[in-house]
Amino acid sequence: MNLKKILKIAVAACLAFIVTTIPLLSAGCAGEPSNGDKVKVGFSICYTGVAAEKGRPMGDGILDCMKYVNEELNGVDGHQIEVIWRDNQYDAAKAGTIISELMNKGCLFFTTNSSKMMGASMEIANRAEFAGFSVFSAPALTHPPQHIYGQMPDYGDDWAAFVRYYVDNIWQGSGKPKMALHLLNNPTGYGVRDAARALADEMGIDIVAIEEHSATTISETESLTRIKSLNPDILYISSTPQPTSIIIKNAVELGMYPGITIACGHASLTSALIDLGGASAEGVYGVFPTVNWDDDVPAMAKMTEYCQNYHPDDYGNMDYITTWAEGLIVAEILRLSIENVGIDALTPQAVEEYGFKKLDNFDVGGLHGAVNYNPGDNRLSKSVRVFQIQNGEIMPISGWVEAPLIKYEDFEWFGK
Amino acid sequence: MNVDLPAGTRNYTYAQDMAIFRTRTHWGLFLGLLAAMLTMPLYLGNYWLSVANLIGITIIAATGLNILTGYCGQLSIGHAGFIAVGAYTSAILTNRFELPFLVGLICAGIAAGAIGIIFGLPSMRVKGFYLAISTIAAQFIIIWVINHWNSMTGGFTGIRVPPASIGGVSFVSQASQFYLIVATTAMSVFFARNLARTKAGRAFIAIRDNDLAAEVMGINLFRYKLTAFFIGCFLAGIAGSLLAHRIGYINAENFTLMGSILYIAMIIIGGAGTTIGPIFGVIFIQMLQQGITLISPTLESIFALPAGFTAGIGPMVLGLIIVLFLILEPRGLAHRWTLFKTSCRLWPFSY
Repeated sequence: MNLKKILKIAVAACLAFIVTTIPLLSAGCAGEPSNGDKVKVGFSICYTGVAAEKGRPMGDGILDCMKYVNEELNGVDGHQIEVIWRDNQYDAAKAGTIISELMNKGCLFFTTNSSKMMGASMEIANRAEFAGFSVFSAPALTHPPQHIYGQMPDYGDDWAAFVRYYVDNIWQGSGKPKMALHLLNNPTGYGVRDAARALADEMGIDIVAIEEHSATTISETESLTRIKSLNPDILYISSTPQPTSIIIKNAVELGMYPGITIACGHASLTSALIDLGGASAEGVYGVFPTVNWDDDVPAMAKMTEYCQNYHPDDYGNMDYITTWAEGLIVAEILRLSIENVGIDALTPQAVEEYGFKKLDNFDVGGLHGAVNYNPGDNRLSKSVRVFQIQNGEIMPISGWVEAPLIKYEDFEWFGK
Repeated sequence: MNVDLPAGTRNYTYAQDMAIFRTRTHWGLFLGLLAAMLTMPLYLGNYWLSVANLIGITIIAATGLNILTGYCGQLSIGHAGFIAVGAYTSAILTNRFELPFLVGLICAGIAAGAIGIIFGLPSMRVKGFYLAISTIAAQFIIIWVINHWNSMTGGFTGIRVPPASIGGVSFVSQASQFYLIVATTAMSVFFARNLARTKAGRAFIAIRDNDLAAEVMGINLFRYKLTAFFIGCFLAGIAGSLLAHRIGYINAENFTLMGSILYIAMIIIGGAGTTIGPIFGVIFIQMLQQGITLISPTLESIFALPAGFTAGIGPMVLGLIIVLFLILEPRGLAHRWTLFKTSCRLWPFSY
């Protein structure tokens, strides 16, 4: 068979695939609303792409939890949850079309794992009054509050909660502690800068340096040398595990650490940080919005059972906990909606009004802080705990610390 | 043998010869396509309309790159950066300065074109891979400025963009956006089609084929190369503006280097240096990506694969297709389309 013939066959096959799949897929997108026995919920998950390190365990967690709710709890009030999930591949353009598909398929609401993917979806959802929540969130998603909610405190809240704990429990000196910020060059990092800009003076912290790094950084010696010359008391890193581990190792090499306090936000604080940072990470503080694995809380046993049965590789990864809790919140929102308006009257607007907005101290089996809706504050859970890496393990050292609401939209610099 | 027209069809004036629609069949097909496009919102759901909108916007941007790279031979790997310039220009003008959408749209094109000229200046001295590297610089510099010009662009936080609105009509729904995007795409393609037949278009092709020979023939390389950069980036800016108003919230992460590379892949697969090529390339790649996104969960469930497993098929298939096209059909789908049309015209004869 010559090359021309191969090419002809390949082109014909591709075109046939495209032509035949369009009507088939269109037929599959008929957009039947949730009714009868099932209620539809959409999940936009970063299973692959550059954020798969976090997206995969998070995707596993939510799908396992939905399986648990449907199979063991017989759904919500006897109604199975129809899970419609898509891999957004951490691609903003793809996230934009996925949200349209979820609306088209008649989902009642949707969730995303990452703040970036929610950023790419949120205005399409806001314009359609299609509510959703993001597990990890950034200030821009919930300020000003519209139809998008944050499951957990955002990266700026992490900083505020940690500073509150630091000033009350760790700081021993006089005057204002001097803090340097090392931020990932995206909303994960710069959410902290915005919070510091809004609250540093009020909370009695002196920000002496703001440095940034990329997700692919291989050395931060230069930026840390600049920071070292300013003699800070604390270095706060808001990033993901890989760059955070590099910054910590570089700080050790430069003799900065131990000597100062190093702390990190919740996107960094997973078992991956310990694997990557090794002994250098010992003593590092961090905040995380959930409990730790094996903590004695009601939801732990069932979550651990599912994790070990279906995704044993995820055991020990705290991202899995966040989305197991996400699943419980999804079920609670649906339960409240069904209870308040009935299964036949469920619409996305009704679910927001009678599900999201009726959340009142819902306990996610103790996996993270209570889930509430307060008018004007679209963060559903507002608390984090402070952890420290001790003997190669992430150990909790505080109870729940509530992050104050920062009204970013009141500041001129936050923009529109 | 000339097979542009069916046997027996003759042109008697230059106007007839230059017309885009030259036979009744052409007009019939055009009107059929027009009817199909105008009624599409009636039978496509929101999801497929959103895919169609994304395809339309991408066609505009790919058409711009095709003028620059396909016609004029100036390789650009910074196209997503120029799209970002358009997106942010429109976002800033409509959000911060509350100017009308149409002002934002036109200024987006002009700003991206102007920035394109600046980054096109090295094309006077360098070409090929060296020019590609200098356009990669454009990608990085533009994104760096966007991220750090916080007061204007919102920096890493991003900026909200109001829905497009013309004369009191707001384009919020996917269906209304579809009409806006289709109209703009049609104008862009029509412009590109005609540009290729003008003096400037012929100059672009001469520069692409051999810039030394073109200069010897009296073509002003400086002028035409920069014109190609302006036009290519102008269309990128228009696409950026439409994208920004469609998604409503942008930050620099919407405009990645990977996106720039994908645009090159689109014009290679479609057929660089043809008007229809970018359309084929964009539709092919977008449908491939959407298809994989849609069938992944089903495949994984049927074959009990780990979640996310089949998503890897996308980049693999894309890479394979690009390699196959470069080896077996460097003229892309557009050439296959031409062969198909020719065989239709000759049918049932084989010669």
